[in-house]
Amino acid sequence: MTAPASQDPRLQAVHVARFHAGLAAGLVIALGLSWAWLRGTASAGYEGRARKEAVGALTGLAGEVEQAGGEGDGVRAALQAWQAGQPAGTVGRVVVLSGARLEASTDPKDAGDRAAPRRLAHDEKPVFDRAQRMRGIVIENRDQEEKKPELEVVLEDGRFSMAAPVRKGGEVIGAVEVVRPAAPPPAAPGVPAALLALALPVVVFLPLRRAGRIVAGLAALALFAAGVAGFGAYAQRLVGGAADAIQALSAAGVLGLGVLLFVALGGAARFRSALVRNRVAYAYTLPAMVGMLVLVFFPFFYGILISFTGQTIYNTSAPLTEIWNGLHNYASILGDFSIVHRAEDGSLALSYGNFYWTLIFTVVWTVTNVAIGVSVGLVLALVLNTKGLALRPIYRVLLILPWAMPNYITALIWRGMFHRQFGVVNYARMLFGAEPISWFDQPFTSFLTALATNGWLSFPFMMVVSLGALQSIPADLYEAARVDGASRWQQFTSITLPSLKPALVPAVILSVVWTFNMFNIIYLVTAGEPGGATEILITQAYKYAFQQYRYGYAAAYSTVIFIILLVYGVFQNRVTRATEGI
Amino acid sequence: MAGRGREEGFPHWLLHTFLVLMVLVTVYPLLWVLTIAFSGGQSLALAGLPAQPSKLDLLRAVTPWPERVSADNFTAVFRDQPFARWLLNSVAISAATTVLGVFLACTAAYAFSRFRFPGRRSGMMSFLVSQMFPGTLMLIPLYIIIVQWLGLGSSRIGLVLVYSTTAIPFCVWMLKGYFDTIPRELEEAAVIEGAGPARIFWTVVLPLAKPAIAITALFSFMTAWNEFILAATFMDKEEMYTAPVGLRFFVGGFSQQWGYFAAGSIVVSIPVVFLFLYLQKYLVSGLTAGSVKG
Repeated sequence: MTAPASQDPRLQAVHVARFHAGLAAGLVIALGLSWAWLRGTASAGYEGRARKEAVGALTGLAGEVEQAGGEGDGVRAALQAWQAGQPAGTVGRVVVLSGARLEASTDPKDAGDRAAPRRLAHDEKPVFDRAQRMRGIVIENRDQEEKKPELEVVLEDGRFSMAAPVRKGGEVIGAVEVVRPAAPPPAAPGVPAALLALALPVVVFLPLRRAGRIVAGLAALALFAAGVAGFGAYAQRLVGGAADAIQALSAAGVLGLGVLLFVALGGAARFRSALVRNRVAYAYTLPAMVGMLVLVFFPFFYGILISFTGQTIYNTSAPLTEIWNGLHNYASILGDFSIVHRAEDGSLALSYGNFYWTLIFTVVWTVTNVAIGVSVGLVLALVLNTKGLALRPIYRVLLILPWAMPNYITALIWRGMFHRQFGVVNYARMLFGAEPISWFDQPFTSFLTALATNGWLSFPFMMVVSLGALQSIPADLYEAARVDGASRWQQFTSITLPSLKPALVPAVILSVVWTFNMFNIIYLVTAGEPGGATEILITQAYKYAFQQYRYGYAAAYSTVIFIILLVYGVFQNRVTRATEGI
Repeated sequence: MAGRGREEGFPHWLLHTFLVLMVLVTVYPLLWVLTIAFSGGQSLALAGLPAQPSKLDLLRAVTPWPERVSADNFTAVFRDQPFARWLLNSVAISAATTVLGVFLACTAAYAFSRFRFPGRRSGMMSFLVSQMFPGTLMLIPLYIIIVQWLGLGSSRIGLVLVYSTTAIPFCVWMLKGYFDTIPRELEEAAVIEGAGPARIFWTVVLPLAKPAIAITALFSFMTAWNEFILAATFMDKEEMYTAPVGLRFFVGGFSQQWGYFAAGSIVVSIPVVFLFLYLQKYLVSGLTAGSVKG
């Protein structure tokens, strides 16, 4: 892009055309995104407003009925007066609990021999039940800190079906029930407006194709801003100016501007030529890449994103900006240092739900398991490596079986064997004169069950790895050592162990990560019993997500786990590099 | 010669005793599950005990041999329980995962092995890094995407998609290593004969890579077959359970149908145990090689 090149008229035309294309692409992105977003919020905001209006009508009626005494002719008059101010299709009914009476009604069906007041018919039991439910909520709320809303609002087939309690002298004597149609939502910002805001700048730019580069560039930016701002102003008048509408529009605008510049400054052209040049390679990687992006990378970043929100199962459809709570989840996970609390009898007790307890437990769990796995595996490998030992292949296959079994089955088998009443482990204890134990009632014994299970299934991996490494040690090394008069122990420490290191170090690293994340064993054997004492980080995160449905909190918890593993990964990388250097 | 040098070590009978003891510990849980499967009952005790058990009774209660040998549990688990259906779900999901996963991995691994293009290195590194993402961090968004957005909860397709994509990185690295060993001259010869890239891939490279592809396929199959958490989280409807979720259903919560569980476990385990014994040497080299590279 030197000065003489930019004066070449043909090259200049290319640049101007790029500005034109960039303008179009940027507008498509900016307008398309804001149009889609506005359409979503228009209907969501409308539903909120309609609900508010309907609840207003309901509580108004409940107030009128309470003033009229809750029953009698006054109530019927109040209902009629209220009905006059409501849209067509609205139906109000007043139910009195004692005697299951329909006190007043504006339902056209309640005429003739069904006219109020009368006893509720058998098929009207749901109406009575609803009134009972309202009374239940009011009574329940009396001694609750957090009060439930004392009304019921259901939107079905475009109509609000609602109920509220009627009180007399502090007691709930009945309920008002209202069915009120909800008007259809207003039109969303139209497609024609968006298309107009898109087409106008693009057409206006056409005569500028003969203009110079700088003029064309400035014109493209100005036209882009005009298009986005014009659409924004129009849409805001239609939807009603909310603060976040402006935010979303400007975000879409910035994105569109980015696209404009990318196309205009030739990034897109370079990208395209790379794409064309390597089209075969990209075509081959495309299916896997799309799969990875959609189901691995996107979920990963989305998971980190929701860790900054208060998302639960009840608000998954809410926009993340509305439930954003910043670092709150992280602060409540990492900022809670009360591992020990005072129990009711005044003694000190551990808080098993605390993050740091779970972290300590997870570290202890990982270290003990890997230590057991390595030592048992290594000893067995050394024994199996004895030259001339009979039946070696048979031993090897039998000892490998625990690794071959699906580990969820292993976990369930061991859970059965540790059963308090019928488990074989307790029978074996009784055989040696000991008392049977309730294994899952004490944190320590519960930990032992998981340890036994995981130890059982993890030693074969270490054994196989060590055996492979042992067999690759050349025999003449030992020969030479013996000639030099080295003892067996010296041979072991100066030949066997160093030769095992290249194979064992990665295996240990791998099994640390595996054990740290060994979900199935903890989840299926101890299930965290007693009281979450034997929960490891990963099962704890799972419980927050799928038993308490606190997605945001669980995502933050998982992110912390990821960071721990990342730190471990970087650290072990450095350590292995350092040891390799020696 | 080296063997003679080590004879001064432990006597063989001692080593054999040690190995036999270890084998007993190793095999005991498996004998336990076999015993319960062939006991014909649902109890998890190996034998009934009198109120005041003697040592002999207790010894009987820890001996893994059924009081009455019967295959009732095997027939009943298929006839009276929806286990056949769960097994079918597992077979369908694992087979589809294998086909899809191997296809995705083969194409990507071929490109990574044979072409030099912008993004190649970062693409491969991103695959490797993705292996570090912890399961539960992925589980929540995956649940929201698959179940709440796509509506694929309790559906085989949802699980197949997740299994085959999460298996991609391992399979790609493994296949790429093998593709790298296939000499390029063979492809160059095909180019001279006028074959296009697609033709070369299908008729030259893939047939040559058959052994590696077979192993990758078996691994994909085994991972999908043994997977528990995702299936337990996604599959709400009982008739859509996979075999692992179903087995847990027999003995989880307040259900205590240990006979069905044991019989089902054996049916589920036998194919993978043999597969595993056949594959383990590839697994070890693949795993350790991968982590050394990482």
